[in-house]
Amino acid sequence: MKKKQNKDITYEIARNLSFFKMLVIYLIVCLIGVAILLLNFNSLIRNHDKKLTGEICSLVTEKMNDSISYMTNSAENMSAALSSQNHNDLQALYDELSGGKKGSGYISIGFIDENQKIYASETEIEEFSKWELLEIAKQAEPVSISAPYRSGMTGQPVYTMFADFTYDNGKNGYLFLTYPLKEIQNMAYTDSLSEDTEIWLMEADSDNIIQCAGSDNYSIGSWNNAILAMQAQIDDDYQPEYADWKAHMTAGEDTAGITYEIGKKTYTQVYAKIDFMHGWYVVVRIPSSSLSAAIQQFRTSVLLFLGILFIATVIMFVMSHIRETEEKKMLENLSIHDPLTSLLNRRAFDYTSSQYLKKSTKNEACLLFIDVDYFKQVNDRFGHDAGDKILVDFSAALNELFKENSYISRYGGDEFVVLVRSADKSEISSKLDALQKMAGDIKPCDDPAIYGDFVLTFSCGAATFPFDASDVKSLQSAADNALYIVKEKGRNGYEWYSKNK
Amino acid sequence: MKRILAFLVGAIMCISFVGCADKKNNSPEVEPGPDFFPLTEIKDGRKNIYLIVKTLANNNYWEVLMDGAKDSADFLDCNVYVSGSYAESDWKTQERLLGDAISANADGVVIAPDDSVNLAGKIDEVYLAGIPVVLIDTTANTDNYDICYMTDNLMAGQKAADEMIKQLKNNGVSDSENIQIGIQVGQASSQTVIERLAGFLQFWSKHAPDSWEILHDIRCSNGIPETALEYAEDILENPQVKGVFTTNSGPTVGFAKALKNNNRTDVVFVGFDYSDEMADIVNDKDYHASTILQRQYDMGYTGVESALGLSDGISVDNKFIDMGVVVVNKDTINQADIQEILQHN
Repeated sequence: MKKKQNKDITYEIARNLSFFKMLVIYLIVCLIGVAILLLNFNSLIRNHDKKLTGEICSLVTEKMNDSISYMTNSAENMSAALSSQNHNDLQALYDELSGGKKGSGYISIGFIDENQKIYASETEIEEFSKWELLEIAKQAEPVSISAPYRSGMTGQPVYTMFADFTYDNGKNGYLFLTYPLKEIQNMAYTDSLSEDTEIWLMEADSDNIIQCAGSDNYSIGSWNNAILAMQAQIDDDYQPEYADWKAHMTAGEDTAGITYEIGKKTYTQVYAKIDFMHGWYVVVRIPSSSLSAAIQQFRTSVLLFLGILFIATVIMFVMSHIRETEEKKMLENLSIHDPLTSLLNRRAFDYTSSQYLKKSTKNEACLLFIDVDYFKQVNDRFGHDAGDKILVDFSAALNELFKENSYISRYGGDEFVVLVRSADKSEISSKLDALQKMAGDIKPCDDPAIYGDFVLTFSCGAATFPFDASDVKSLQSAADNALYIVKEKGRNGYEWYSKNK
Repeated sequence: MKRILAFLVGAIMCISFVGCADKKNNSPEVEPGPDFFPLTEIKDGRKNIYLIVKTLANNNYWEVLMDGAKDSADFLDCNVYVSGSYAESDWKTQERLLGDAISANADGVVIAPDDSVNLAGKIDEVYLAGIPVVLIDTTANTDNYDICYMTDNLMAGQKAADEMIKQLKNNGVSDSENIQIGIQVGQASSQTVIERLAGFLQFWSKHAPDSWEILHDIRCSNGIPETALEYAEDILENPQVKGVFTTNSGPTVGFAKALKNNNRTDVVFVGFDYSDEMADIVNDKDYHASTILQRQYDMGYTGVESALGLSDGISVDNKFIDMGVVVVNKDTINQADIQEILQHN
């Protein structure tokens, strides 16, 4: 009963914004905040990786281009020196130079005369035919570089650089120098690079790649193909971006970068064009963990901090709500209940009953106005404690009889008002009869010697809704009128309101 | 209050378990290869050469190579022990066998490495133990070997691309026709396979018409015959595919079967190595199949000969000897030089 009454009276306060709703909103706001934070962090990491990898790639490419430029300059200078010496016997020149000490890292030197006769070892001459190196030589203006191929002499990948030169009074020929591919790989490699950094040479047209640096030393110098070694490994979501990245390379653009995932690992990959090696690019790939480990650690710390903050806030939120609820309950109890009898007080009864009648226009109700007879005499004869006992016991009797379907209140002093959510007069009359019997058993104290022949009675006026009145005030007035009649008749009874009386 | 607590616990669990999913990594288990066993009659007082082939698993290519090694040993009077793995992906068996050869104080090791990168370290160990190392068929990513007899696979791949372009044109495919070329490789970690693919694509990118497109979905059957056939069937489901290229024996057999199963006489096929299935399709005039043949008999023969010579202190000038390849198709199959090679197949 009390719960039902409490619920009704706090309904208005609770209905607008429940704690649960507020908690859900708070959680959603927190999740949105964390999502935005993560997106920002990830974007920061991606941009940071791409920028840093781009810078590393540019440095590596610059280093390689400088070194290749140095080599091509050496070839040009050697060619110019030989041209100025105006040799007329290339075989003698070849024998002299090929038998001597090799300089600047090349493993062999040779010549091509104006009739395309090659001055080189037998193995090399075969290689010229196999790899169509004469065609590359013809592209020398003033220098050209072949694609890597396997040398018969060393068994390792090499490349050959050609420089045009003149001999025998202005005849045009070519000088060539063959270098191990490791020379280029060494150019790409820097001790300070992380082990995770992978560097390849890549031919745009064929997607062929040659590894120059990586975590496994034995894989350095090996051929592979980017379709198998890169593209096939990349997660499906990133395939369009990879295709776009490759399209930039195929279109001959100087540089482009991409960030993608393989499994759960994120990589940033950038390419840059290599001067003098037509169609070849240097590709640098670095895993994100290697570049942005610090940012990722910071991101983890921030997320951890936010997580703890979130849990702490929710706990505080819940604890504060519990305390607030308890305080509210206590205040509500104090404000709506009569502290002696725990029945509704007058203000709470008026509010509750008026709300009920407003919402129950189609229902019936009955209001009982009850006065304990001669209560002042009880106080005077047996004392205030005894008077209080009478009120508490009488309240308990009311509660026992009417608690199922009524609002019961102590209206003031010895006055009680009951709003029964029914207008069944016979049922209510029988309950009032029962109340009369129960009242007869209520005594001011336990000692018969003290209370003697004391018998408690009450007077009650009853009015029904909507038959006798259409609102609380008129209903109370009607019940009061009926009570007046009972009192006129000498108390100890009940009377139903009648307009005719 | 219970509802609030349940909600909180649920929310915290949701947050905690995000990103905990993990993919299970399943890789096929391969039975390790056996210990060395005699390939020749073993006689006391003869030098012992240890031959490690890529696979012992019923493969005609390696049987021919072992025939060459045996003939060489019989002619040069030495003992040859042989072993290998049961699948080309099992480079660990070869690693173990290299260790066994060191322990047995081999006079020479002849090896066709399953994995050029992963075995390089162990090959270093053999070489640095003073044992002559001869590589055959496939090189390794190290300088620590004496000589390598193999096909220059980059060049072989180029020849395969050249043959593909020629045969497509012979088959009436015009330069402007939009066609696709499917590719299937065997073991992606094998340098042989990769170099053939690289050579093929290098030549293709320079000489094939732009409208002839390579399918980027390059399939890798990892040396498993059933997978090779399944992938071949998949690729041939695409009617735009008018050419298929395979880098080694396994996928080549797969496509030879799949082309016949699907009656795809409109497809030009260029593969590697020789087998009953390949012989069948090359000789069938309705199909357009070519295969690139290596001289594996010569590799086996010369490999043992060279290892023996090195153990006797004979030095070599070049470290890399390209054994060359021949292109076999229905027009060349009856040529004398090709028939001689085929006799060993």
